[in-house]
Amino acid sequence: MNFNHIVVQNILRDKSTYISYFLSSVFSILVFFLFSTTAFHPMMAELDTTSTLGMTMMLASFFIYIFSFVFIIYSLFAFLKKKTKTLGVFMITGASMRQIRKMVFRENMLIAGAAIITAIAIGFVIAPLFLMVTKKVLRAESFGMYVPIPSILLTIVLFTLLFLIVSKFMTRLIKKEEIVKLLKADITQEKLIVPAPFKMILSNILSVFLLISIIKEMNWVKSFETVSYIALFISFLFAIYYTITQGTLLAIRVWQRRTSYLRKTNMLFVSNLKAKGRSHAHIIYLLTVLLLGVFVCTSVLYSSYYNVKEKTEALYPYSFQYTSLPDNTSEVEKDITFIESTLDKVGKYDAYYLAFKTDEERRIGFMSVSDFNELGQHKPITLSNNEYYVVAGNEGVRPNTEDIHGYPFGILEYAGLEEQNILSTGLQNVFYIIPDKVYETIEYPVYKVFAYELDKWTNKINVANTILSEVSTEPGMHLMASKIDLYDAEKFVKSIMFFIGFMLSLIFMSAAMSILYFYLQTSLEGEKEKYAGIRKIGFSVKELASVVTKELATLTFIPFTIAALILLATMFIIRNYISSAFYQLTAIGLGIFLFLFIISFFIIRRAYLNKLVD
Amino acid sequence: MTKTILNVKQLQKEYTGEITYKALKGIDFHLGKKEFVAVMGPSGSGKTTFLNCISTIDRPTNGSILIKSKNPYELNDDELAKFRRTELGFVFQDFNLVHTLTVEENILLPLTLDSVNEKEMNESLEKVVNFLGIREILKKRTFEISGGQKQRVAIARAVIHEPNLLLADEPTGNLDSKSVNSVMTLFESINKTFNTAILMVTHDAYVASFAHRVIFIKDGGLYNEIHRGKNKKQFYQEIMDTLTFLGGGQHEF
Repeated sequence: MNFNHIVVQNILRDKSTYISYFLSSVFSILVFFLFSTTAFHPMMAELDTTSTLGMTMMLASFFIYIFSFVFIIYSLFAFLKKKTKTLGVFMITGASMRQIRKMVFRENMLIAGAAIITAIAIGFVIAPLFLMVTKKVLRAESFGMYVPIPSILLTIVLFTLLFLIVSKFMTRLIKKEEIVKLLKADITQEKLIVPAPFKMILSNILSVFLLISIIKEMNWVKSFETVSYIALFISFLFAIYYTITQGTLLAIRVWQRRTSYLRKTNMLFVSNLKAKGRSHAHIIYLLTVLLLGVFVCTSVLYSSYYNVKEKTEALYPYSFQYTSLPDNTSEVEKDITFIESTLDKVGKYDAYYLAFKTDEERRIGFMSVSDFNELGQHKPITLSNNEYYVVAGNEGVRPNTEDIHGYPFGILEYAGLEEQNILSTGLQNVFYIIPDKVYETIEYPVYKVFAYELDKWTNKINVANTILSEVSTEPGMHLMASKIDLYDAEKFVKSIMFFIGFMLSLIFMSAAMSILYFYLQTSLEGEKEKYAGIRKIGFSVKELASVVTKELATLTFIPFTIAALILLATMFIIRNYISSAFYQLTAIGLGIFLFLFIISFFIIRRAYLNKLVD
Repeated sequence: MTKTILNVKQLQKEYTGEITYKALKGIDFHLGKKEFVAVMGPSGSGKTTFLNCISTIDRPTNGSILIKSKNPYELNDDELAKFRRTELGFVFQDFNLVHTLTVEENILLPLTLDSVNEKEMNESLEKVVNFLGIREILKKRTFEISGGQKQRVAIARAVIHEPNLLLADEPTGNLDSKSVNSVMTLFESINKTFNTAILMVTHDAYVASFAHRVIFIKDGGLYNEIHRGKNKKQFYQEIMDTLTFLGGGQHEF
């Protein structure tokens, strides 16, 4: 028997401890591998000439990598805690700190190696399936299976590095404690929650302050934009942490004062919570943060996917908008005839012809009121001879309403504002709608606009492709904008985002479940002993089940509730920026997750009870 | 008492916490080579703390401990580990076996940590296995054997490298009377055959009567010590008398 034999046996004979660590590592590596397989696909270069798609995939992989770091560090902590007593036994038999560290390090590297190999092997099996899904999502017909050598190498190198760093770092953290403490680690009491009401209040106030100043766009925020977002994120994490730990403490105290404390199984449940308050609160915190990650990933990304149509329409109001510039020498009529004849073949459409004059230096457009009313997307207006009306030129930017007074058009009075851009965004900074008579006196270059609107435009991408292949933007001549084309491109990006978000939320979810599993696994032995003792003094299995159910429900559903509440609160704050579809989607998403949680709760509860009673 | 293996001077141990508690208030003690000494005393008297300090698993606050003229607390971590596995053997009340290893692997653990070659390992194993009579359970896991067997395995692990000093903390605390007898007989014969000095903490007068000498600790200080004469039964009676005097021990009917 040699040293490595001990290492191997430690793992092989204690599978239940290592299995969830192993599986979650495999899962993280697998997703990383699949993402990089897509990113390094030989057809990627052709599909994605601007390489934004590849970048996004790589960014997502990078994020998974960072997350794996944190997650693996956490798992290792959980391990070491469980192994404390064993480490003490090793030390009394004469193992030095160096040997202990070596042992833990080798155990880890062994698991790491196994996890990397397993992940790549599984990756090989499901990569074709994954690529098939990707093919659908990315609409890349050419995405077939290939031997992803670069991504295999990348995965192996990066994760070996990760495990090496984490294991080396963690084994340094094994404190040199008196052996007697190590040996008694399983019976000594955990640290209790330290009351810290000021920290809780402070972190909450800070978060609220940061949040309000970001929403209100206060001055100081503008100068430190990224810093303020990071600060908000960090203070938010602290606020959640302190609120949860202090809340647990408060709940325990309140429960203990109530008279029902001494009835039935209440005392057992509450004293359990108290004894393990700190680690329970930590688990609740971790699960809350991970669940928030899941919710944000799914709701926000899916909702952005959902709003594409409205957002596209806001940017480009027309199915096709042909803008002829003043210096246009090319044959406008030929282009227009082509567009209209193509559209004629498709079916019914509305056409709008108008013109406006523009101060090209300041990009301020002037439009006659009759031309404005010609456009069909908004309510017609009437202006008296000394009035003007203001219309936005850029989407989401409030136009300046007073610039018109710098022009010699006589005295005009402000009559109203349309905040939605009427033509494609960015064409002009602002449009001033003026009486026809005034318009005729202006001597600025004339832009001619031919706008077309189709019914059911979202599925007319073929029409758009036909027209755009023939008539596209020629700088200095004419401009071409199509919401159909934009919508198609946007939808493509959003579906990739959603796809990535979905994978990320899967990772968060698996991490959350794995953390819970770890935690229960770690405390199982002690709990078993405790309940065996209590059962001897007359404690039915039913009563035991009720205590365990309450405790497990606390651990699973409190994080869920908190995360859901935070999500809902966030939605309430940004309610002006989101559509009602978002609520529906969030409700559906939460429902699905709740369902998954309830199912896993019952599975975990059953398995845990079986182990406890047996 | 020609040679001394363990020399303890003014050993003190304080536990600092919310209330500072003095577990040991200055104990002088020496243990001769080949000597077998039992430490007794009421609960909370500090006997286990005394043993833990000597075992190098709990650092004393004050005083000196010399094992074979070396102060283990002056050694660095590597040296201390080496010292533990060559000079000391440990037996605990709750066995402290590694549950992921088999019986055989548990016994070989100290040698493995020392990277002893396989031939030597097997020879040593052969020797202790014969001596302790645990051949049939070698391939079993720690949870498949009885308490008495577990303690035998722990003893085997403690003596496989033939230490000079065997330290035992309530080695019979978790055992039935039959196992107590066999474990104590084992201690006696280890003491005789391997010339191992033994320091054992116990609260059982019968177990203590196997020793050559019994020291009594009360409230963190040395209270009394008695030597065994020719007669074991008489020795047992003397121990009982001292315990009764200490308060505790024999019950009155």
